Parts: sequence; C-alpha cells; structure tokens
Amino acid sequence: MIKIENISFDHCIKCTVCTMYCPVSQATHLYPGPKASGPDAERLRIKNPELVDSSLKFCTNCKRCEIACPSDVKIAEIIQNAKWKYLKIHWFRPRDFFMSRTDFVGGIATIFGALANFIIGLSITRVIMDLFLKIPFNTKFPRYEGTTFRKIFKKELCKSQDGFANKVIYFHGCYVNYNNNELGREFVKVMNALNYGVEMKKEKCCGVPLIANGFIEKARKNALFNISSLQEGNTESKIVSSSSSCAFALKHEYSSFLDLDNSGISDRVEFVTKFIYNEFRSGNIPEMKPLGIRAAYHSPCHLERMGGVMYTLGVLKQIPGLELVVLNSECCGIAGTYGFKKENYDISQAVGKNLFSLIDKAEPEFVITDCETCKMQIEMNTRYKVLHPVNIIAMALDIK
Amino acid sequence: MIYDCLIIGGGLAGLICGIKCVSDGLRTAIISGGMNSLHFSSGSIDIAGYTSRGEVIKKPFEYLKTELKENEEHPYAKTGIPGIRGSIGFLTEILSGQGINLNHNNEFNHFHITTLGTLKPTYLSQESVFSTELTEIVKSQKKIAILNFKGFRDYYPDQTAANLKKNALFKEAEIILGDISLPYYTNTEKNLHEFRSIDLARIFETERYLPRIAEEIKKASAGASIVSLPAFIGINNYKTIRKKLESLTGKFIYEIPSLPPSILGLRLDHALKNSFINLGGEYIAGDRVVSGAIRNSQVEFLTTKNSGSIPLKSRFYVLTTGSFFSGGLSAGFDSISEPVFGLKVKYDSKRSKWYNDRFFDKRSHPFLGYGVQTDSRFNPVSENGKTVKNLFCAGSVLSGYNPVRDASGGGIAVATGFKCAERIIKEIKND
Repeated sequence: MIKIENISFDHCIKCTVCTMYCPVSQATHLYPGPKASGPDAERLRIKNPELVDSSLKFCTNCKRCEIACPSDVKIAEIIQNAKWKYLKIHWFRPRDFFMSRTDFVGGIATIFGALANFIIGLSITRVIMDLFLKIPFNTKFPRYEGTTFRKIFKKELCKSQDGFANKVIYFHGCYVNYNNNELGREFVKVMNALNYGVEMKKEKCCGVPLIANGFIEKARKNALFNISSLQEGNTESKIVSSSSSCAFALKHEYSSFLDLDNSGISDRVEFVTKFIYNEFRSGNIPEMKPLGIRAAYHSPCHLERMGGVMYTLGVLKQIPGLELVVLNSECCGIAGTYGFKKENYDISQAVGKNLFSLIDKAEPEFVITDCETCKMQIEMNTRYKVLHPVNIIAMALDIK
Repeated sequence: MIYDCLIIGGGLAGLICGIKCVSDGLRTAIISGGMNSLHFSSGSIDIAGYTSRGEVIKKPFEYLKTELKENEEHPYAKTGIPGIRGSIGFLTEILSGQGINLNHNNEFNHFHITTLGTLKPTYLSQESVFSTELTEIVKSQKKIAILNFKGFRDYYPDQTAANLKKNALFKEAEIILGDISLPYYTNTEKNLHEFRSIDLARIFETERYLPRIAEEIKKASAGASIVSLPAFIGINNYKTIRKKLESLTGKFIYEIPSLPPSILGLRLDHALKNSFINLGGEYIAGDRVVSGAIRNSQVEFLTTKNSGSIPLKSRFYVLTTGSFFSGGLSAGFDSISEPVFGLKVKYDSKRSKWYNDRFFDKRSHPFLGYGVQTDSRFNPVSENGKTVKNLFCAGSVLSGYNPVRDASGGGIAVATGFKCAERIIKEIKND
C-alpha cells in the first residue's frame, strides 16, 4: 500500500509556474525544475523508488517554488524529503560532514583564532581543499573570531542584563558565536535600548546545514536538544534569533520537516526584525539619530518564505536618514552550504549573477540583508560590505 | 496605523490598485499567495468582447454605453465609462514606463489568435499581437507562415492553421507551416522535448543566437511577410529582440500564446510588479490571508498564515483575491462563500442553476458570474448585512459579470482596481 505522507503533490495542476521561478533551472538545463522533480516525480517515487532520478541533488531548497505555487503545494519539502530518502548517497563524505558541523568546526577554529584564519586563507590550503575536499578555490570562508560570543556575553554583558524587568531569550546561532561576535554585541545593545534584557540558553546548531547535507538524524538530535533547552526556566519571554535560517528552522522546519513537536517554542520564536517591528509599533522606539546613508536591501529566500521581509522593511523604514533601495527579489545562489561545493559552484554563480548586477546598478554605500550566508555570497562577489538590520539600528543608536 | 492601504491578492486588479495608491504617496502593501493568473493569460487586455448572446462586439465603449444603462449591478456601471478609459490610460502609461507597449485600435476591438487558432476580440495587445502596421500587411498580403520550434511540445501549428482556415478572414490566405531549431541546444544537456516556453524564452533573452534564428526563420517562411511563432521570443528584453529579428528577417514577427506558463502574460506581470516595487510598494509574496476581523462596519485587522501573533493593520483594505481557482471564492455542495471576511456572495441557491449542461456553451456558466456583492462604491456587505466602509473589492471576486462569456476579465480588473485606489486616495486626502 502507498503510504501517503505528503499528499499536497495532488494539488498540483501542472501549470509550471514554479519552474519559471526556480533559480536553478534558470541557471542550468540539467535541472528539470521543481515541478518535474517534485510533484510529478513524487507520484512515481511513492510507487517505485527505482524511478528516482539524480537530478534531485540540484535543488538548493530556496523555496521560491513554494512561494510561486498558486495551489499551495509544498514543492521544496517534497524534493528535500525525496533527496534524502531515496538517493543513494555515500555515508563517508568528509567535506559535507565538516561543513554541516558548524558548531563543532567553529568551536575548534575559535580556539586557534587568527592562526585558523591564516591557514584557511593560504593559497596552498585552498588548493588542497579544492583538490581533496572539492571546495572551490575561489571560496572565501568567513573569518573565525578569536573567542566565542558566549564567552564575551558571560564575561562582559551578562551582569548588566539583570537590571531589565523584561527579557528576551537570544538564540545566537553558530555564525554569531564563531564568526561575528560584533552582531551579537549589537543585538544586546539594541535589545537593551528597547528596554529588554538578554538571556541565553544552552544551544546547539539549529540543524539547517545538517538538513541540507542529509544528516537528518543528527539534525533531529540537535533539534530535540534545542527544543528542551529553550523551554527550561523562563517560558514567558520571546525567543529571538538574528539569523533568518535559524528562526525558520526553530519555528517551522522542526515540525514540518523533522516531524518533531516544537509547539512549546514555535509561537515564541521570532526573527529579530519582527520582534523589533512589534516593539516599534507599540511605541517603544529608542532615540535614533539620522544616518545619512544610502543602502540596498536584499531579501533572503528563507525570510521571504517565512513572510518576514515586510517586518525588516518596516523596521528599516523607521530608521531616520536611511535611504533604502529595495532590490528585486532574487536568490543570491549560495543557499547555505550549496555554493561552497565545487560541483555546485558554477550554478551558484549563475544564480547569483542577477542579484550582483542589481546591486551594482543600485550604487549603494553598502548592502543590508538578514542572512549570514547571503552576506558571505554578496561580499565574495561584489565590492560592497554587507550589514545586518541590527547593525544599522545599532549605528543609528550610536550617533551622538 | 501601519499601512494606508493593504491589498489582499497580487493579480492584475491588486497590482493596478497598488501602483495607483503608492504613486499617490500611500504606504501600500500587497499580500499575494502564489503567482497570479497573468501567468495563464493571453497577455492581451479585454474590455468587452462578446454580447450576452455571444456576438462579437466591435466598439466596446459604445456597446457598454447602452448596455450599462439597464445593468446597474455591472462593475463597469460602477466605474463608469470615463473610469474605464482613465484606468486603461494609466495601465498603458505604467507599462510603457517599463518598456512594454500596449496597442489598441482606437474605439474598436481587434482580434488576437489563440493557441488553438481561434480569433478572440480584445482591446489592448502587445505590439507583436496587434499594430496598425500588422493590419496593413494583412490587408495587402495573403501569405502567412506559422512556425514552431522543432520538438517544442506545448504548441501545435497544424491545429492553429486548420482553425484559422475556418475563419472568413483567413479563408483566402496561404498558410505555410514550418520549424526552426537551434542545433547547439539540441546536442547538449537537455532533451528538447522537455523544453517549456520559459526555457526557450530564456535562450532568446540572451540574444546570442538571433542571427542564426533569423536565418532559420527566413528559410522556413519563404515569401511570407508575416511569421508567427509561439510566444517565447524573450521576457524582459523582448522588445529589442523582436526588433532585431524583424530587421534581420524583414518580416513581421507575430506571437501566439502557447500552453501555460504564458510568456505574454509573464511580461505584464513582471512589468507591473517592478513598477509597484520601484515606487516603494511592499510586495509580500507566499503568504495567505487567513481571516479578517470586522467590527462596527470596519475591518480591524488581518491574520495571515505567517503573521502569527501580530495582526496586520491598515486604514483601508482591498480584496482582490480572484475567483474560485485562486481561492477568492469557495464553493461547497450547495453554498458559495468568501473565505477571508465571510462577505455576502451573490449566487443561485439551487446548485442545478450554477452551470449549463454543455461545457462549451456560448452562454458560458452562471457560476462564473457569482461573486461578492458590493454597493456602487465597491464596498461589500458583511455577514450581518452591514456595509464595510474601509474595505473595497475589485477584480474577479466581484459579482455582476461573466468574464468568460463577455471577454471582459482584464478590463474589469484594471477598471475596478483603479477605481478603488482613487476612492481610497480621496478619502485619505479628505481626512
């Protein structure tokens, strides 16, 4: 008997609109597109797994197909499920293993700090990585910090948080912890300016890179850890994340993709701009000075899927003296770890091409985006520095 | 208040309404769940194509002038004929600002050729479908080439030709059939039979193969001065591409819409969305409005699938959720409802009256005329029978007309969307 796990493929009317908006099928004819790979092929796969074809691996899981679908078919979810369920992918993949263990690798790299950055930056290392790990030579890895955000928080920031009656629980994610301590500091500054103290719970990598690389069981373990850790003690405060992908995982993918019960946290999880937007709306607006800056805003795919872009725009539009050019919605092509793999490099570049030229045309002073991997991709491929909305608010708070 | 105007639905009506509002300085957002029906459309905008008896209308405005006197419930009666003209002017101006020319035949309708080769009356078309130059050529020349891309399975030129021949206009015409191809692509990567119109449009969009394609066209269309191709000669860059092809071949290049997705419709969609976003509008894609709260004849807030605990608020709301396919109307076994606000819907209570027995009946089907009941200002009536003052309705969610029977869907969307925007702008300015 056919086990009907996701029958939304039955709602597909074969209009092909999803394929029109798929950045990967725009970049390469090798990918037949989300319609063919998702709802079309799913009918065959559930009958006979022999009918699975390898083109599934091209999907970046950007979810633009789901946004485009007029019939609400969970196309990307169907493809992701099928990819890891049916494709025979070898268990020994050192590159994918290390790439998806952002917390494990980050933990080691921050111990060595400057030395780690030096070694990763060496041409010889990059040649070796290109040859043996299939990580393209042109990739610039994000810099590792010399310490973790958790240590900084404990040492410098933690004490001053007791003075606040209201609290938020900060899910900082791996990027802030190992690669961008400054964003964490500024998050605390902004929350404090809004009269919220910051609390942190124990956390593991949210699981997004694990899911993307097919380590589903490990992702489930991490998710279970996070769900229970975030429910310890304070269960009133909002759980706020400064990473759009972490927020998406905690709020949606834990239940929709990993089949876990996240009902204890899902209503409390908020991406940072939505939290701030709500505060602004109720009149809690800190004093900000005019910036006098022109910036371009790029909306990350996963934030769009979550419906979060309007909150980021809502917040940015209330920052005085910020001239904002909102770029047309385009995928940057990096899709988490996808663009860091040699076999995907050309596709990833071709997907991002449109966005890069839009940015160049806009001639901003810098680019704003909510997602850390979008930031890496844009900084690798344009001459602009990329900032997070939280950085911009902090900037406006700092002006004396 | 966060927004001045919040539009539910990102189709033609919603986009026109949004562009008008945002260009008058209103803080405007459009919430859209999935792509709109322009993706399945001919890319031409009809105003009124057929009478209720199925006869072709030659002069739409003149026809409407007499027709609307007897029919106050018709959306066009509420926008008025100057309202239709004004909105059409606005649409053509917006699109030409985005590089798309929509041509019309002054007071007259013109015909466009469908995928099947039938002729449909319409009012506005892209220059590859209608221009005065084309009418001249058709008059003086009776040889037409209908070409296809070799192996493209979403279009059948033989069928187009056979149906065209049945029409008096083309009875005398000599029709040549032929193929063009791009061997470079046939040898690589993808099986040509998997190509959809969008894949071909992307190849054309690069301009890389134009001289080659022009040669192919010349070879396949010897002697004909009009060459029709399925609509895939480029997306945003199509104007330049078509001009280049015309100058390289010396022939008029005509476009026939292929099976969905429709490139002719896609061009309009892209242009309108770009215009809305460039003017500063917020286009929220991939979300769905679940419900709207009405209290004291006012919409208080909206809840969407993604909004969670923060409801969306605005001074004015516009409902452009479309008809049954897009979920603007929902049919049960013996009732029809409007799912967002539970507005009053006009329909026959007897299910057997919803449809005619013959699927392709010229009178179409009554259910296509069902929709939300509104007053002369396009304000709807809520469940408890009270008019909702800060909510307007536009496009195919409205009752009082049958877009399929009348060939009027596009015009109604544009005219009503525009009118709602004008009303909102006026009310905000009077405040």
